[in-house]
Amino acid sequence: MPENSVKPVPPAIDRRRFLRVGGLGLGLVGAAGAGGLLTGCAADGAASAGYPDRPIQVIIAYAPGGGTDVGARILQPFLEEELGAQIQIVNRPGGGGWAGWNEIVRAEPDGYTIGFINSPNFMTGYLDPRLGRSDVSVESFTPIANQVTDYGAIAVHPDDDRFSDIGELMAYAEKHPLIVTSTGVGSDDHYASLALSDRYKTRFSVLHNEGSSDGISDLLGRNADVVFANVGEVMSQHEDGKVKVVAVMRGGTERSPYLPDVPTMAEAGFEGVESWSSRGIAGPAGLDPKVVEILSAACRRAVNNPDHIEQLGSQGLEVDYKAPDAYARMLKRDDKSTRRLGEKYIWGPEAV
Amino acid sequence: MDSALFLDALANLFTVEVLLAITAGVVGGIVIGALPGLSGTMGIALLVPITFGMDPVAGISMLAAIYTSATYGGSISAILINTPGTPAGAATALDGYQLTRQGKGAKALAVSAIASMIGGVVSAFALLLLAPPLAQVSLAFSAPEYFLLAVFGLLIIGSLSAGSLLKGFAAGVLGLLLATVGIDILTGYPRFTFGTTALQSGIELVPALIGLFSLSQVLILAEGRDGATEAMTSGLRGRAMPTLAELKRILGTIVRSSGIGVFVGILPGAGGDIGSWVGYNEAKRFSKGPEKEEFGRGSLKGVAAAESANNAVTGGAMIPLLTLGIPGSSATAVILGGLLIHGMQPGGALFTEQADTTYAIMLGFLLANILMGIIAVAGARYLVIATKVPVRVLVPIIVALCVVGTYAVNNSVADVWVMLVAGLVGYLMRKVGVPPAPIVLGLILGAIAEKGVRQSLVMAQGDVLGYYLSRPLSLVLLGLILMSLLAPVLAKRMRRAVPQKAEVET
Repeated sequence: MPENSVKPVPPAIDRRRFLRVGGLGLGLVGAAGAGGLLTGCAADGAASAGYPDRPIQVIIAYAPGGGTDVGARILQPFLEEELGAQIQIVNRPGGGGWAGWNEIVRAEPDGYTIGFINSPNFMTGYLDPRLGRSDVSVESFTPIANQVTDYGAIAVHPDDDRFSDIGELMAYAEKHPLIVTSTGVGSDDHYASLALSDRYKTRFSVLHNEGSSDGISDLLGRNADVVFANVGEVMSQHEDGKVKVVAVMRGGTERSPYLPDVPTMAEAGFEGVESWSSRGIAGPAGLDPKVVEILSAACRRAVNNPDHIEQLGSQGLEVDYKAPDAYARMLKRDDKSTRRLGEKYIWGPEAV
Repeated sequence: MDSALFLDALANLFTVEVLLAITAGVVGGIVIGALPGLSGTMGIALLVPITFGMDPVAGISMLAAIYTSATYGGSISAILINTPGTPAGAATALDGYQLTRQGKGAKALAVSAIASMIGGVVSAFALLLLAPPLAQVSLAFSAPEYFLLAVFGLLIIGSLSAGSLLKGFAAGVLGLLLATVGIDILTGYPRFTFGTTALQSGIELVPALIGLFSLSQVLILAEGRDGATEAMTSGLRGRAMPTLAELKRILGTIVRSSGIGVFVGILPGAGGDIGSWVGYNEAKRFSKGPEKEEFGRGSLKGVAAAESANNAVTGGAMIPLLTLGIPGSSATAVILGGLLIHGMQPGGALFTEQADTTYAIMLGFLLANILMGIIAVAGARYLVIATKVPVRVLVPIIVALCVVGTYAVNNSVADVWVMLVAGLVGYLMRKVGVPPAPIVLGLILGAIAEKGVRQSLVMAQGDVLGYYLSRPLSLVLLGLILMSLLAPVLAKRMRRAVPQKAEVET
């Protein structure tokens, strides 16, 4: 029950606030509000007194050297300084990330075992009934802070004469089948192309791969027509002119700071097809609100540290701190859209 | 590269910090590689955060030095105790350990060191001089080609099965079956996972490899009937450096394998584990008569072929990494993270604005390979002392390394169970004369073959045969496969037509 356990406010107010702001989508209002609430609540508690007084384990559900791991290791020194405690990074790859995420879910909710979750990618693992994790849900986690939101990017080959911008691509794809890449069944990139096909009737055949670099390789070799990836994964190739990013899957007209020459989907006239891959810190359900408060306050200062922002920015990764309640709303929203698309196209009875 | 740039690059390279970093990378890499379970990828991953605070040339050169040295290091334990330290060292174990049993362990190590160095140096020159055109080759390779390459690789099983071809293929098929465990990447369906999370990502290669090679070997050693220890210790007296005649004999093999390694390296979907097998197989194919018979029974050529190929993969794998931002292996995928942190975005800028840094790193990689060769050759005589350790001491040490090494890969107890089961299976298979190598090959190539064929079905959009036949590289690979399948049959026919002394088929 994140909305009860996360925030240091009475549940009644909490639920009303949630319903009101939750409908608005990203809800930056909530992020600002949470900052005030966090400082406004200072009751003393026995369990959280003196927290943290020993090292905190941070579980990474991916292997060392992967994107999430590198991002966590960049954050580590900043967070250690803010918390005044040692952070131990523990890599637990396997089972598509669920070796690690299960460990977060099953950890003692004392604040000494937390970890990174990757939304919406981790949701397929509990939503898809074939994977047998119906005992887990978004409620099994206590959101603490979002670190990075890497928006979806749609890239084509620069020499493709069939389409050179997102409008032409969408028009072409309505009439002709195109091969689009994905970084796996139920990945954010898969949902991104499904969302387009669902709403705009594009005829995409999805070519699943194990990483975005495989997809980019297939695009460069003209073996696939369109790459669905994230800004951080195509930024350098776009700047180098090897691929052409035609749209960033972001709502509103604010462009990605790392791809200033590329329009957002909404700007190009395609509303309602946002996509991102976010990385944030969460603990098991039932984490003490005061522990959450200490952690999220430290995360806010560490994540918003200009040096941290710059180091991630060099990889095209957009730092996007979210307070616990705003982060919870983002997860709920991801859960809802993932569930709908997944049921319709991946694991539901009509899915092929 | 003009001379001013070359001098700038050299100036960047020859600083105390950079040279110290490269030396540390070489020594650390050899140790990491030699320990079963600890691979270069893991060593690099753990050191990436340390490079944040370093000069980019020092940091990235160190990572590249670890990469190539760990690849060589894997051969040390493969040769001395038949337990490959890295997946890329598995092919080396076949002949390397036989040489150790014959008391030629030091020589096998020296040959491995020389072959690794030459393979690495060849790939460093390919990286320095031919990176952009070679990167284009990697792009022509896609799902259909990976499928055919994997099929071609599976034919190697025929040459691994000294003795019984049937048993070899049975082991290979078992490997292929094991490769199907895990979530199907095209539909997301979990296969043969028995409801466990641990098996959803499939049978991990490193635990399976450690079990099949290392643990099963230890069990055989523990029986005390291997007869290896006496011969091993006598090997201490033998000279380490190969003679000039021996070097001459293996030079052609090393050059061929280096070329194969660079080529396999630039393919994003294939790494050192595949490079060494292909190099080994081609060396065998090109050998004739008694030399061919020697493979699997202690051939210096076999060691040289596998080791020059897997080290040549390292430089090859950095070609698409630096030019296109597409890592050619799992280790280079981790190096990519290190590059980006240092503000070095793969692509054109690396070869123009940041050329002095980039070329310094490439030259640093070249230097690391030479340094690795020198340290490794000098160390061969001393490393071999490890085989002097009595079996009753060696066995528990290797078992401990197997368990710790397996656990260290993913911090996973489930992997340790996979390793133990694989060890038991490997032991039983050895007892009935089934070689374990084809299982590993099936496990590696099965996943690539399945992914390749199924992705190509999506790409072909209906006309599969037409799609394959319309791709020039597919045609070449199809031709190679047909040739290797038909060559023995045709050779037999011709021999029958012209009666001759029958030769043993492989």
